[in-house]
Amino acid sequence: MFKTLGVLAGVAVLGFTLAGPAPSALAQGSENVVRIGTDVDAGTLDPRIMRDTTAYRAINLIYDGLVQLDENLQPVPGLAVSWENPDPKTWIFHLREGVKFHDGTPVTAEDVKFTLDTIRDPALKARFRSLYAPIDTVEAVDKLTVKISLKEPYAPLLSYLDLGIVPKHAVEAGVDISNKPIGSGPYRLVKWDKGSKIVLEANPDFWDGEPTIKNIELVLVADNTARAQALEAGDLDMIQSPLSPQDIKRLQGNDKFANSIQSGIAITYLNFNTARPNLSDPKVRKALAMLIDQDTIVDQIFEGTDQKATSILLSSWAAYDPNIRQPTYDAAGAKALLAEAGWTDSNGDGILDKDGRKLTVELGTHSEDPNRIQTVEYIQNIFNQNGIETKLRISDWPSFSARFQEGDYELILVGWTQLVDPDRVTFGQFRTGGSFNWGGYSNEKVDALLDEGRSSSDPAVRNRVYRAAATIISEEVPYYIISYQGYQVFYDPAIEGYIANPRGMLRSLKNASIN
Amino acid sequence: MLAYTVKRILLVIPTLVGILVLVFGLMQVVPGDPAAILLGEQATAEAIAEVRHELGLDRPLPVQLGDYLWSSLRGDLGDSFFQNEPVTRAIGARLGATIELAVASLVFAIALGLFLGVVAAINQGSIIDVVSMLFAQLGVSMPVFWLGILLTFWFAVELNWLPAIGRGEPIPAAIAAALSGRPGVLLNSLSHLLLPAVALGLNSAAVISRLVRSSMLETLNEDYIRTAYAKGLPPSAVVVSHALRNALLPVISVIGLRFGVLLGGAVLTEAIFGWPGLGQLAVTSISQRDIPLVQGVVLVFALMFTLVNLAVDLLYGVIDPRIRFE
Amino acid sequence: MRKAYRNPSLVVGGAIVAAIFIIAVFAPWLTGFEPDQMDMANRLAPPGRGHILGTDNFGRDLWTRAAFGSRVSVVIALLSVGVAMVIGTTVGLISGYFGGWVDLIIMRVVDIFLGFPALILALAVVAVLGPGVINVSIALIVVFWTEYARVVRAIVLSEREREYVMAAQAIGASTPRILFHEIFPNTIGPVVVLATLGLGTAIVAESALSFLGFGVPPPTPTWGWTLSFGMRFLRTNVWLSAVPGFAIMITVLGFNLLGDGLRDYLDPKGVSGRERVRDAASEADAKVQGVS
Repeated sequence: MFKTLGVLAGVAVLGFTLAGPAPSALAQGSENVVRIGTDVDAGTLDPRIMRDTTAYRAINLIYDGLVQLDENLQPVPGLAVSWENPDPKTWIFHLREGVKFHDGTPVTAEDVKFTLDTIRDPALKARFRSLYAPIDTVEAVDKLTVKISLKEPYAPLLSYLDLGIVPKHAVEAGVDISNKPIGSGPYRLVKWDKGSKIVLEANPDFWDGEPTIKNIELVLVADNTARAQALEAGDLDMIQSPLSPQDIKRLQGNDKFANSIQSGIAITYLNFNTARPNLSDPKVRKALAMLIDQDTIVDQIFEGTDQKATSILLSSWAAYDPNIRQPTYDAAGAKALLAEAGWTDSNGDGILDKDGRKLTVELGTHSEDPNRIQTVEYIQNIFNQNGIETKLRISDWPSFSARFQEGDYELILVGWTQLVDPDRVTFGQFRTGGSFNWGGYSNEKVDALLDEGRSSSDPAVRNRVYRAAATIISEEVPYYIISYQGYQVFYDPAIEGYIANPRGMLRSLKNASIN
Repeated sequence: MLAYTVKRILLVIPTLVGILVLVFGLMQVVPGDPAAILLGEQATAEAIAEVRHELGLDRPLPVQLGDYLWSSLRGDLGDSFFQNEPVTRAIGARLGATIELAVASLVFAIALGLFLGVVAAINQGSIIDVVSMLFAQLGVSMPVFWLGILLTFWFAVELNWLPAIGRGEPIPAAIAAALSGRPGVLLNSLSHLLLPAVALGLNSAAVISRLVRSSMLETLNEDYIRTAYAKGLPPSAVVVSHALRNALLPVISVIGLRFGVLLGGAVLTEAIFGWPGLGQLAVTSISQRDIPLVQGVVLVFALMFTLVNLAVDLLYGVIDPRIRFE
Repeated sequence: MRKAYRNPSLVVGGAIVAAIFIIAVFAPWLTGFEPDQMDMANRLAPPGRGHILGTDNFGRDLWTRAAFGSRVSVVIALLSVGVAMVIGTTVGLISGYFGGWVDLIIMRVVDIFLGFPALILALAVVAVLGPGVINVSIALIVVFWTEYARVVRAIVLSEREREYVMAAQAIGASTPRILFHEIFPNTIGPVVVLATLGLGTAIVAESALSFLGFGVPPPTPTWGWTLSFGMRFLRTNVWLSAVPGFAIMITVLGFNLLGDGLRDYLDPKGVSGRERVRDAASEADAKVQGVS
């Protein structure tokens, strides 16, 4: 061949030959680092204004809360060594001595007060401000004692006090803790390559001892399939939900990886707009619920990654009761129930009708989650077969959520996450006029029960009221809970001592090591 | 030439302003409220209204637009709603990665495109020609994201030759490291860059190869080439010194447009390969309704595209004196 | 017609495109299944008896889904390219013929759309309008129309100085008449070539939008969604992504071959050499592919 062409060929082929000698650089170097895949980049590392799962997980490593929630969602001591609840509206926390922020300054009651005061300030635009709204005042009694006074009794508070405590002096001095976080947790930030990775290193002065694993990297790979492939290719050491069911199945069969697959603290559910004429009749809602083929959805579409839900009560809660059951799949029963409610196919067109009106439903979800899209596709198919004319409406999350928050929907498939307490998925959702009661559901008995559950801190009382509320909700079906979302984590078995946590928190890595 | 250059540069300004107005308009009519998305599902209507006020979204639209245009003129693109940093910083952190990927793909595309095009042209009508051009056609027809996942699957998962995701040290830093005796750093960067560059560049390689082939064929049939052959010059000298040089002209002319294509394609490639560039930022910012960030990313893409095209057009004039500028 | 036989691109491309159109039109008669007929017991079946290309995650027949999917792809391609062509050609004619301020303003608008990153523009338009066949088509029209405007304008600029136009003006022919009867015919060839290549681009663009979640959502059977969704099943059932993937590839290949063939057929010598290559090839191939 001509000489120049040879050079050209060389240039073109260079790309391919490079593939040979170039080693998978990350795969060989197993220094003391755990690389964890994440699906989104964190928006901020300031605990007060965090919004995404990556931020929760990074912040949980960088900061300390007054409490930590263990793998059973029970509060255990964090910055606070102990606490007392002298009356339903007062909580007193005793802080651990000698804890220091990463900049060397001691953590005091003033920092706790500052964190809880600022998160309740609208100017901060904190996503979780409403969770702390029942707080009246926070008082630094002395250097290591904090007193929280409530406007009204608010039992779930303790579950939300895992909020990371930020250093008052640094924030007031204008340090950008969003991008340069200063916590007191087991790890501290080394660097944050936006859109790429968050690099953490062990905090040598951590109050519970310096972690053995020296570095943790949270690596962004947006695509679920690509993230799973990166684990298999050895470019990551750990990946977590969200993952494709197909990948989960395959990884489970791969003995190169350890895994933990458990029930998370989130639900996937159908929300019925009870204000819509076709759906205002509880009988119709119940009949539609009897057409949800939960087995097929959970076993085949989610491929068993989620658990079939029995009611609004999560199986990981103390209030859980397997005997409280929503309607189950029964097409014949649904038909009979619809007939009882007056819906029959009187003109033989295959679609049920009543007083000359067809039974139509618009079923919506958002386009970001393929599993949800498949689910509505499947439900539509069954509804149509059973004489309910069903249209799908799928759009991206912002458009979709803007519509349903204004009550512009009939039936939507959505989810609730971070359900550390029953109050979080009932009070705003089912109470008359509740902030998240977009479908206008109203039942006086439910209202009374939810008020009682919020004000009592007696576990026995709370279990009773949430069970009673769940029973009514299962009967009247403003929600049909399809599944308790599973939480999955796959990791290199060389990581020893890591305990998976249903919220995907990684804090147990502080006690883990690499073999 | 100078007058033309000045005119072209001046015309960039109204174009960019127009693009800003267009993107501002689009983000006003798009459903979904950034304040509501910022606060999440568990937000009350009052909280959303407060945040709208904090973000300045409750001001009259002409005020918002005027304010935005005025401050962007001074280089201030505002603060991202979601990233908790100025838009210029968020973009600055990712710009290098996107340019690196686009340039690498372009280099790959030109190298492969030239090779295939020249080989096909000098073997016109043979099986080599048909195979090369079929390859080129298939390269144009294949969706980038599909190619990306297949490449990852083969080269990273099955063969484990290359990393599936991420980026090494930026290439300039990596070259510096290699020069100071640490070639591993550069190899690592290149191994990360290779798959995404190939996935992104294949399409352009195909286009360029077709262009090179047709332009080579045209040149090879021209009188002066025949004369060169007749004079007894060796075929390699003819191809290289005459035909190839002319065949390069159309390639240069498409580089500008190709660069735009590659920047656009980066949106897809970056998602597959976890490449920390502007493309991913563009998609996230649209799906979060992060208005200042969307505006900023679009502006930067448009600026790069416009400038590269301007440069290419001017360069083309320098290389090919037959082109005259109006 | 003799020429056509010496032009394999035209023949092969034409045959592929004809086949796709036939499948799209006659889809219901080419299969024994309904596109939304589920069979959960038989999901993700490989190709074989009963289902020639296998089944998808709901046990729906993949061949049937692909055949019905061709309708969506063809409709989006024809609609987006057709409307973009009409708008772009009209704008180009007006801009080129009148020149001056009209031209200056129109071309600045064209520049704005051209400078706007194509995929992001399409994505933003779908975000505004919501997903769906018509809205995806509109998004692509918004991206595509400028290239027709530019090419047509360039042709008009060179044609309007020609004698026949001067002659028509001299005998007092009306402006619309000159535009549409005298100049317009000269633009048909290049525009048809561009449009044919654009049809392929539209199909790839639809799949790219689907991958980003801004395409045509289920239950409509589309190649783009099936491909990007099917990639999740790469290791369990490769057919779920391979069938729509190859459908896209073959169709785009068909349109591209046809476009190349038409270019040679309409303009066998490659009129005015380099400039043509520069205009037609680079314009047609490059800009619009920004969305793919």
